[in-house]
Amino acid sequence: MHDYIVGYNIILLVYRNIVAAIDKMFLIWQIAFPVVYIFVAGYAYSALIGDQGITIGSLTVTYVSFLTAGMIGFNVMNGSTIAGAIIWNDKRNGMFQQILVMPFNKIQYVIANLITLILIGLGSAAVIMIIGFPTIFHDINVTLWSIPYTIYALVAGSIFFGSFTIILSTRMKSSEGYNVISNGLFLFFAFVSSAFYPAEGLPQPLSAAFYVNPLTYIVDITRAGIFAQISTFTNIEVVILGLLSSAVFLIATRSMIRMEA
Amino acid sequence: MLNDRISNQAPPSIRDRNEPCISVTHLKKQYGKANAFILDGISFDVKYGTVFGFLGPNGAGKTTTLKILTTLLSPTSGSVYIFGKDIIRKQSEIKRKIGVVSQNPSFEANLTVERALDLYGLLWGLHDSGVRKNKVNEILSTFDLESIRNSKNDELSIGQRRRVQLAREFMHGEDMDLLFLDEPTVGLDPSARRMLLDYIKKHVMSGLTVFFTTHIMEEAEYLCDEIAIIDDGRIIAFDTPTGLKQKYGGANKIIEITFKEVLSESFIDLLKKIIISSENSDGDQRRRDDTTNTTSRIDINETNQNAVTITVNNAEEVISEILQLVSKNGMQIESISINPPSLEEVFLSIVNDENSSRDNERK
Repeated sequence: MHDYIVGYNIILLVYRNIVAAIDKMFLIWQIAFPVVYIFVAGYAYSALIGDQGITIGSLTVTYVSFLTAGMIGFNVMNGSTIAGAIIWNDKRNGMFQQILVMPFNKIQYVIANLITLILIGLGSAAVIMIIGFPTIFHDINVTLWSIPYTIYALVAGSIFFGSFTIILSTRMKSSEGYNVISNGLFLFFAFVSSAFYPAEGLPQPLSAAFYVNPLTYIVDITRAGIFAQISTFTNIEVVILGLLSSAVFLIATRSMIRMEA
Repeated sequence: MLNDRISNQAPPSIRDRNEPCISVTHLKKQYGKANAFILDGISFDVKYGTVFGFLGPNGAGKTTTLKILTTLLSPTSGSVYIFGKDIIRKQSEIKRKIGVVSQNPSFEANLTVERALDLYGLLWGLHDSGVRKNKVNEILSTFDLESIRNSKNDELSIGQRRRVQLAREFMHGEDMDLLFLDEPTVGLDPSARRMLLDYIKKHVMSGLTVFFTTHIMEEAEYLCDEIAIIDDGRIIAFDTPTGLKQKYGGANKIIEITFKEVLSESFIDLLKKIIISSENSDGDQRRRDDTTNTTSRIDINETNQNAVTITVNNAEEVISEILQLVSKNGMQIESISINPPSLEEVFLSIVNDENSSRDNERK
């Protein structure tokens, strides 16, 4: 019987999260936003930069390739925010309480949300990979050794940003507060990062601010994996991202378990 | 008017079962050791195949009880058994057999009504998509939701959303044995309200047990087989609706008089005097019988200043005096009626008595 398998309950809740949370607007946002960046901003800035390209490790790639690789990490961040939105809507629309009086418990609800955020994060990255492939394929230089770095960055990135929005959604009381804080912080995450431009050569304070931002680590590791440019610094970034994601993940899990129906 | 109450007729095999569907014993709930008990040792049983009304004023402990029975809260002490199973240890098994319609709205904002029902069916274990589709169509038709089947929940009116919330619980399939309804008719128009109550009755007849809270006494009277009244965390009355009226309504009668002219202050004062003197003359009888509620009072209708409602336990005597007064003052009566107390009157009387005795204890 499916009914008594705990794992099956989690699968049902993941399915429910995806069906209930993903609407047309979300999909449009997930696809249109990075496409505009890659195909409009990418080619417009390429004209300004000229043929010199961007240096990543020992490799020089076109700005569009640089940006597309950055957009993969960026879209992971965008996609993962849906984890917070699911919890926020469940709380606001009474579905959190309703799910708990059905044959599901809080632990299953928490695990299902974490799986959902990783799936949506990876799905968002895959969408950009597919859309941006024509712009990046001539610079791609993956190896068996470098691919796990990219996958790690995307999973850890999903966990970090998903957990981050979960913490916000469990702590905030009003929709206005939730929106203002999440939009403000995500504006910082998006533009004070190496997603759009390289951190090298920036004024020192700005460069330092880039490395306070986990999106910079996600994007750097993703690029290092895609272009097979793994360095000692990449490995340090891997450790920092792992620690940050674990810490935020634990706080998010604790916040969800403490949520009262 | 919901005055044509029909006894629920669940199959004898269900109604005659010896063990209760819900058994609550000495249930206590306290939020933090320094705080007072929200539930102070309540006990009651709910029989299989019946509708159990759980009534009480705001803050009495209804929602806390409901949250414990639906596994959302843990009790501080006492025991709760549902289907003979301990609610703490067998939570998962119990939850598969219960449905809950809570007082607060709950909905999936992005989904259409049809999609939401289908998803709910899947979550309840209806894995076959064909079976689910038929069930969705049946529910859409029963709850008159066909015209909004493609509307998103976010676009619905409060009443429509409430109907979907109720309908959704019946996507449970054939396994639901117990349904908790927490003020389920809030926001529904009279025909939807009646349709819902009749639908519940139909299911009770086929064996469903219902735990029902409401502030609408007409509904409780229409639907419930037994009623418990809770106040300040304690059960203060428990009986059938008829039993409650007999036990707590006493000899009280409600006299409703509509005059042809607006009542003057001086005339109302004269009416009050009649009631007070009739109460005094009846005082010896009241002292002999504590259980008879004899709180006489006069209520002036706020919307129609020609009408008064008088509660007394010697209606015939009071009417005769009022008629004399009317004739003396040259007034005319449009209509007059004498009725037994409604469940609402009884409820108010029980709760007011409880509040008075609690105030006296404090003094």
